[in-house]
Amino acid sequence: MRATIEVHLPVFVVIMPLFVAFVLPTLARRIRLVEGVVTSTTVLWFLGAGYLASLVLIRNGNPIGYSLGGWPAPWGIELSVGSLSCLFLLMVAGVSLPVALFAAGNMAHEVGGPKRITRFYVLCLLLGGALAGMAVTSDLFNVFVLVEVATLSCCGLVSSRNHPLAAEAAFNYLILATLGSALILGGIGFLYIITGHLNMGFASQELNRIWQEYPHVVWMAVSFLLVGFGVKSALFPLHVWLPDAHSAAPSPASAILSGLAVKGYAICLIKVLYNVFGVALIQELGMHRILTLLGMIAITAGSLFALTQDKLKRRLAFSTVAQVGYIFLGLGLANSMSLAGTLFHMASHAVIKSGLFLAAGAIIATTGNDRISEMAGVGRQMPITMAAFTVCSVSLVGIPLFSGFIGKWNLLLGSLEAGNRLAQAVIILGSVLCAAYLFPIIRVAYFEPAPAADWQDPGLPQKTALILLAAGVILLGVAPGPFLELAKRAALDLLVMK
Amino acid sequence: MTDFILKRVAALLLPFIQMYGLYVILHGHVSPGGSFAGGIVVGLAFIAFTTIYGLKKGRAKISEKATALVESYGTLWYGLMGMVGVFKGAPFLANKIAGIDLGELGALSSGGLIGLIGLGVGIRVSSTMITLFFTMIEEES
Repeated sequence: MRATIEVHLPVFVVIMPLFVAFVLPTLARRIRLVEGVVTSTTVLWFLGAGYLASLVLIRNGNPIGYSLGGWPAPWGIELSVGSLSCLFLLMVAGVSLPVALFAAGNMAHEVGGPKRITRFYVLCLLLGGALAGMAVTSDLFNVFVLVEVATLSCCGLVSSRNHPLAAEAAFNYLILATLGSALILGGIGFLYIITGHLNMGFASQELNRIWQEYPHVVWMAVSFLLVGFGVKSALFPLHVWLPDAHSAAPSPASAILSGLAVKGYAICLIKVLYNVFGVALIQELGMHRILTLLGMIAITAGSLFALTQDKLKRRLAFSTVAQVGYIFLGLGLANSMSLAGTLFHMASHAVIKSGLFLAAGAIIATTGNDRISEMAGVGRQMPITMAAFTVCSVSLVGIPLFSGFIGKWNLLLGSLEAGNRLAQAVIILGSVLCAAYLFPIIRVAYFEPAPAADWQDPGLPQKTALILLAAGVILLGVAPGPFLELAKRAALDLLVMK
Repeated sequence: MTDFILKRVAALLLPFIQMYGLYVILHGHVSPGGSFAGGIVVGLAFIAFTTIYGLKKGRAKISEKATALVESYGTLWYGLMGMVGVFKGAPFLANKIAGIDLGELGALSSGGLIGLIGLGVGIRVSSTMITLFFTMIEEES
């Protein structure tokens, strides 16, 4: 039995949330049951991802392969679980669990009746399944299908809030994301035309043999993919949909969208760039310079925009734009340190940003106000919520002993290794700006005189979720061992051509 | 307005359209078309019925609860067919190597699990068409 589960675990982590999502609509009348099922699914999912990660660590990072339907690689769809997949799976399942806890019994004011809430959970699980699929698949067309599933679920999640702003934001998001999907499909199509393979490994071998014969097609493919995934993961000039969508969505959805969904597309881009094109071809094409430049612009611009926002969730959303910049910067620097830093920062940002959004959601729900300038006294009256918010903010700035530090430190070491002075300056500038837009919130919440209102921390599941996320941030910062190990192995895997 | 001709012609034609849709679903693995296309034909028969006979009579034919059930379990059916491979000790979605008899080439009973998977897809697609249509039309009225 155990051996069977072990063999099939790579596909189980993808289909389990999908299966549960299909059953949920029939349970819509009993909302407590739905919430229980979703929470226990995420627990099981997290355990599965953890077990898979331990298997990969025991195998010294050797990927576990799985052929769907028993068809071997060039013909069938191949799943391959390496260090990169494990890190991402752990991140997705690990963040989904507290978000599910936070959402339990707390959705009525933002979403509506039991039917709408059930739909919200269905979309969450579909998105989770799609993200897990992105982590494990090594088939290009499968990537496109999963990107579509994730995109449509994200649009649904944004529009699930019963507010006209949410509908408008979801519509904008849908239009831009569809454009991105079309570009991704085009890019994959170009790759398929010249290589004749959809499996990443085989496409990569073929591409590196023949790319000089079709330089223009390769350029088209890589630029289509960069812009397509760039739109979806909110790379700076293409981020316009993100602040509206992420601030208009219900808070648990904002946490998933900002923490996980954006990273899913980034993982797809990493897989396509490093596993299909390969680091040598990226540098030959000069793509690494474009990625670094875009990353630096995104960090600076995202942080500056965040500084000017007075609405709490919008400020956090712009902060996501800046952090996505870090991911792309690390990709562009293309050495083992910077890639490990990028991957670790991705995971730690997922935990941090979901913590921030959930805390913001709790604050906004209690005070009925989303302006930072009117948050005075929240720190005294909602101690646990604000403590979680503070831990996450401090970590995002990159102060030692918190998770954000380790990712940024490795990125900084990577930029030193690459000898890129400007990148070093921007990484540090990003941290300073991050402090400049997050610390005032903490100052207002703790040190300004409180109005005579009776605000309280949210209920027990919500408090547990916030404490879990804050504990996760501290754990990742104090004892990053296995996670950093996975990130470093994943970085090495990406740099070595198979 | 009574729309006598339209209603009589629809009453005559719709059963055949539905039969045709079911035929395309069931023969998806041996002939052109497939369960997706067949599911759309079945769904369109319901949509035609509703547009001709009115929303009330259309809803009486297939309730919201029924479409929700069919939609959920149609997709789950696909997954369960995939799990057959796992229970037989082969990979997810395995067919022949899970020891399933593929039958004679070109016969309706051939293809192992593919026909059954197609049934799930067809049911799901038809009920999705119906749900989409009803969602839009009920929003209007």
